[in-house]
Amino acid sequence: MIEHGPLLERLLEGEFICAVTDEHSFHKLQNDELVDDLNHFLRPLNRRVAKNDDGSVYFLAYCDLTPNARQHLSHQFTHTVQSLLPMLEWMQLVQEALGRDGALSAGDTIKLQDFESKVVDNQSLIQRLAHLANDKVFKSTSDKADMQIKQVFRRIKELGYLHQPHKDRLFFIVTGKVEQLIELVRFIKDEENLPIDDETPEQESMF
Amino acid sequence: MSQVKQKKSTAQSNPLFELGKERLELIGKHADALMQGYLEGQVSESVFSQQALQKLLDSRVLFYPDEQSLSLRPIVNELIASLTQDERKRQINSDVGEHLDQIQTRVQSLQAARQKGDYAASEHHIQLLTERVNDMTGQFGDAIESLWHRLNTEFGFVSSLDDKILEIELAQRQLRRILDGFGIINFDDLIQLAGSDGTLRKLLVSQLQARISEHSGSLFQVQKRLVLLMARFRQQQDRALLINRMSAFLRQHPNFQIGDYPNRSQVPAVINQAHSINAKAFIALDRAQDSYALAELARAVPREQEQGSQSEQQTQGFAVAAQNLVATEQKQLAKDVEDFFIQVIESPQALSGVDYLAERELLWEPEMWLFQIVAEYEGLPQQNKRSFMLEKDSAQQSRFNQLHIIQDVTVGMRFFGDFQAAG
Repeated sequence: MIEHGPLLERLLEGEFICAVTDEHSFHKLQNDELVDDLNHFLRPLNRRVAKNDDGSVYFLAYCDLTPNARQHLSHQFTHTVQSLLPMLEWMQLVQEALGRDGALSAGDTIKLQDFESKVVDNQSLIQRLAHLANDKVFKSTSDKADMQIKQVFRRIKELGYLHQPHKDRLFFIVTGKVEQLIELVRFIKDEENLPIDDETPEQESMF
Repeated sequence: MSQVKQKKSTAQSNPLFELGKERLELIGKHADALMQGYLEGQVSESVFSQQALQKLLDSRVLFYPDEQSLSLRPIVNELIASLTQDERKRQINSDVGEHLDQIQTRVQSLQAARQKGDYAASEHHIQLLTERVNDMTGQFGDAIESLWHRLNTEFGFVSSLDDKILEIELAQRQLRRILDGFGIINFDDLIQLAGSDGTLRKLLVSQLQARISEHSGSLFQVQKRLVLLMARFRQQQDRALLINRMSAFLRQHPNFQIGDYPNRSQVPAVINQAHSINAKAFIALDRAQDSYALAELARAVPREQEQGSQSEQQTQGFAVAAQNLVATEQKQLAKDVEDFFIQVIESPQALSGVDYLAERELLWEPEMWLFQIVAEYEGLPQQNKRSFMLEKDSAQQSRFNQLHIIQDVTVGMRFFGDFQAAG
């Protein structure tokens, strides 16, 4: 178990482990035996190793949903929901600015310089960026696009959705935590019966 | 050798030879204008002289689909598309029935010629028959190659995801038609047709069968890949739609209340994420064997008081002669820089000056700020200076002079690295 100390510590600190953030540990966590061992250790802390639906990201979940655990979950869920719209808007902004086909997903790379040059060329993207940067999730007070971009990306990195392989290079990789966020969005849509599928029924029939 | 020459000369004596060569050269001669026409969909009459235009029309390269417009003949379009692997226009021709009919007729003529003992005629029929079989398998080969090419470029010739999905659907239909074509080829009939003739058997049965089974194999691979790609595109499309619609919904309903999932009896797995635990540890002196390492650490800690007084002395040099306002600003700048250095001491990693400036949203000009950091660092007493590591991120401004502009500086604590290396 000693050798897995650092991994355990990172999981306990609330890190999401995916192929982007730490490929080596990610592969280790695919071994069910090891996960059993870790879970055994985590049991007294009321935690277990969990993964998302498609197994692209690992994190810790509660074993028993004690009142205390529920309180933490409530708190965290409120935070996630508050940052939901800004996060979705950010994903749209990146997708549009970089002219990508599909939505951002784990493993996609973003060069900040490319993004910035695309945004500053387009008045509507500048406005959307300014609106986004002003959101209380990102809290930028600067009115310069480059500062706003830096602040937004820094915050999203803090939230764990972006990985920056080289500290001094403004080059980011989307992490597996984004997949978890999308799963949450899908869950909310289904659970709350949001009327957002009805707009294009012909699309629905294609799936 | 002489046989080849002879063959060549008989080929050249064929009247088709000269005509075909002339027409191919004609296409080559007008390559620019024809390619222009290929890309734009129609050809402008004005680029050709009257004589040249007539020649191209007579040679069946160009035609008038209606009175106003002049275009390349479909077959020329197809030729260019196939030569350039232009998937937008490339056509897949999977008609097999026609080929099989021709093969049947050709075999009958061949047998008739053999019965008459006409050696030259039967040679000619064999040649035509071989060509026909090659045409048919080559046509499948081309179609499959075109499918692969589109797959490998992930349908990059169309830009939007919706178009890509339509293209995959088209490719799937083409694939289906090719497979249907394979179904028409009945080897029992072909075996009967070939009879006891060894050459025919080889051509119509064993060779053809080998080719077709090879093609079926690669078609199967294409099909698998198409399905995978389709699934991926659909997933991407689905995801982009989900994001767009959810954000539109949330914008339209700013007061939307999401259910209280954490307090439901069944908490959904997707929101069960444990909060973080930081396992902190502190200096403990109850184990004798640790004392040496702890003492090392204690010695490595920079003395803050000394550093503080030193920097004040150093900033006085700037302040004395300056006006009051500037002096206050200068003091504030020096203080912010000091805070930056304190932050560096507390932080486990090196900090970037520019990032810190943005993070704290300080109003200093970045240039002035970086200058002050460097000045502060240079002004430290030697022994304190050794505790810090300052890296300048600079780029040469132009190839023609030695001017380097510092874009950022990164300051970190040195003792961490050294201590870890020693321990």
